[in-house]
Amino acid sequence: MKSTIVKRLIQIIPMLLFVSIICFGMIKLAPGDPVLSFVTPNMHPEDIERMRQSLGLDKPAYIQYLLWIKEALSGNLGYSLINHQPVLQQMLDRLPATAGLMGISILISVVLAIPIGLLAAANRNRWIDKCINLLCYIGISIPVFWLAILLIYLFAIKLHWLPSVGMRTIGVDSFWDMVKHGILPCAVLSFGFLAVYVRYIRSSTLSQLKEDYVQIQLAYGSSPKLVLFRHVLKHVLLPIITLLGMSLADLVAGAIVTETIFSWPGIGSLGMTAVKGMDYPMIMGITLFSSLMLILGNLIADILYRFADPRIKSTR
Amino acid sequence: MVKQKSWFQWIGVFTLALLMVVVTACSSGSSTATNTTAPASTDATASTDSGQPKDGGSLIIAVAADPQVLNPNYAGDRVSLTIDQALYAPLFQVNKGKKTFYLADSLDLSKDNLTYTLTLKKGLTWHDGEKLTADDVVFTINKILDESQHSFLRSSFVIGGKPVQVTKINDTTIQFKLAQVSPAFEAALVQVSPIPKHIFENETDIEKSTKNNNPIGSGPFKFKEYKTGEYITLERFDNYFGGKPHLDSVTYRIAKDTNAANLALQNGEINVKYLDPQDVSTIQATGNFDIQAYSEGRLAYLMFNENSDTGVLNKKEVRQAISYALSRDEIIQVAYTSTDYAEPARSPFTPDALYFDNDVTTYDNNIEKAKQLLQQAGVSNLKLRFIVSSGNKSQEAQSLYIQQKLKEIGIDVELQNMDSSAWSNKFVDPNAKDYELAISGYIMGYDPDAYRILYTSNESSNYTHYNNKKVDQLFVEGSAEADTTKRAAIYKELQEIIAADAPIYPMAYTKTIVAIDKKYGGLDKAILKPVVIFEDLSKIYLKQ
Repeated sequence: MKSTIVKRLIQIIPMLLFVSIICFGMIKLAPGDPVLSFVTPNMHPEDIERMRQSLGLDKPAYIQYLLWIKEALSGNLGYSLINHQPVLQQMLDRLPATAGLMGISILISVVLAIPIGLLAAANRNRWIDKCINLLCYIGISIPVFWLAILLIYLFAIKLHWLPSVGMRTIGVDSFWDMVKHGILPCAVLSFGFLAVYVRYIRSSTLSQLKEDYVQIQLAYGSSPKLVLFRHVLKHVLLPIITLLGMSLADLVAGAIVTETIFSWPGIGSLGMTAVKGMDYPMIMGITLFSSLMLILGNLIADILYRFADPRIKSTR
Repeated sequence: MVKQKSWFQWIGVFTLALLMVVVTACSSGSSTATNTTAPASTDATASTDSGQPKDGGSLIIAVAADPQVLNPNYAGDRVSLTIDQALYAPLFQVNKGKKTFYLADSLDLSKDNLTYTLTLKKGLTWHDGEKLTADDVVFTINKILDESQHSFLRSSFVIGGKPVQVTKINDTTIQFKLAQVSPAFEAALVQVSPIPKHIFENETDIEKSTKNNNPIGSGPFKFKEYKTGEYITLERFDNYFGGKPHLDSVTYRIAKDTNAANLALQNGEINVKYLDPQDVSTIQATGNFDIQAYSEGRLAYLMFNENSDTGVLNKKEVRQAISYALSRDEIIQVAYTSTDYAEPARSPFTPDALYFDNDVTTYDNNIEKAKQLLQQAGVSNLKLRFIVSSGNKSQEAQSLYIQQKLKEIGIDVELQNMDSSAWSNKFVDPNAKDYELAISGYIMGYDPDAYRILYTSNESSNYTHYNNKKVDQLFVEGSAEADTTKRAAIYKELQEIIAADAPIYPMAYTKTIVAIDKKYGGLDKAILKPVVIFEDLSKIYLKQ
């Protein structure tokens, strides 16, 4: 196991290098010039050129990349072209907000998906199953931004129960205030994943219920509830570990939209600003961070899977 | 099979019920939103101050992004400029031709029009208690002029190819010596808000200095707290030279999504916010906001690229024909909903500019005349390429309108949608030859010399590639003419020549719309101002 983990960790280095080359290449190929964001009509061409030089944008692309990678290897991801602050520092400042939002959203999705999925499977083709299915279709197809606006309208404007923007009330630093601010973004981010997980658990439970071991347990007179929770559930939950690892990419994408709408000060909204301003050191930093997170997420999922089901070791 | 349990059912019922409540609330909201069509106040000085002033309280202003840098020598974006306006006091301001002195007490010009003498008010202090003197002003100007410091303002202080010479006479007096007469110098000085010498004198790169993260200014509010991505809070500066501000604090709340920010405005989480014309009726329906539309001195125009590879827009008759095919009133309706938010434009100058004259040659909608001009130019089956910035709703709507109208005179317009960065790149590229039409806008400030870079041949921002020797000569004369009567005549003639040549089709002088919670007063003294919303935030108060 240890050697596998070490091998997988070593593989991360060329993967990140590959991602950085692709990302840098795409930024360079994309139309647009970061200097244009700073140009005012009364700036002279020589001032614009001076600015280009000071940002290092006058050098050939491959030199820019080599300089970037050299700095990145020493832990310096460069400076934002927009506000000249260190990229790494800004990402670290924003990381807790994103980690909190994503972690809680995943937790909510999984905790709610298990009972709802089991409920749907246990009531297959009855009205309650149909209702859950309908909600799942809505959850999968509803655009994140639309759901966000809808919830803000209902819970902030109409009912005045919850705040609609930011992570805290201005000047207030209490835990409960942050909880109140987090409810709507977490609800929005969780909703889509909840729908996906519920459908997965439902179909997985239904296929398990057809297995011989379930039929035998029922034939021996075990209660259906006991069979469901003691025997079926563990078979259903195991693949969710893998599903969670795979969901990370969608979660990052969802967080960008959710953070922008709710003015949540996380890495997602930072990324959105960077893309709009062609702030390529920041785009590179965030892309690398997201890639690293995905790779590590999948690695952790694999490791957990092996711990949870030792048979995997021999079959892979 | 597993038996159904009632508490499980209730989860499903509850979820379904919740969704129905959400959908119902949404549909009732949309009907409210369309309930009113009353126009917003269109006069920036309209008084809304019925309540008595009271000291204390806070104001929350929505901004669309984090500031780029809290230092007025480098602020080029709207958010940084807006926050800097509260943090750093300017020397003086000019609004509708009227000069208001802030840090400065007077500005005098020598008889030969080459030396400006600026006198500061006495007893000025920075937020940290240090004295603000002529040394700070001299330091600021010298840092602006220092090429290695990359200030946006540098080019404004290089006159006739030579940098302005700035000298301290005494603690409150500064002298500026110009290489040649330049009435536009005042407009350059308007942009300056001094930065403290005692803070920055040892910094090699002020733009990247960490001291910008804890700014020390001289404005009505001082820096208190910045939560990146969330908000920036400023607190009252009791020693503000203009008198103690009424409010305890001002916060700039970062709200990137316009729709969500509008909802936060309605929810009371934001007190001041820019509005799109399309959102005015929804916000007005709440009855809680003063909605003010004011001019930013911006011209929205259709640009004719005379440099395109077809060369077709080189012919004045073709440009005039296109202009005759369009109607400003219809464009305003399409893009800005009504004339409350945009006024028909004829001059290339904006109404806030000195010597502005909108009574120039115009091309009011006349299809027959347009067809006649095309015939006169010997042009038929014309095809034009129109670059459009995707996602810019106003631009997309106007381009579709223009495409439709030009069809009526036999011109086929091909719309080329591209993302905003690509569009900007193409628009400012002097060698771009693969398009003929584009929509853009400019804010050039009050001195007409600023327009030189747009309409003088071979200038950096002459995007249309307009070329008229007489215009070039008049701009040179205007920039060095100290006599206001003669200067006025020069710029009036300039406006007429440019309007007649039609290098652009001026569409509208657009207005900025701001919603301000009705519980605040003092707006008339705070003065609504282009780009930064309020000129002097110290005057705003909570009504009793």
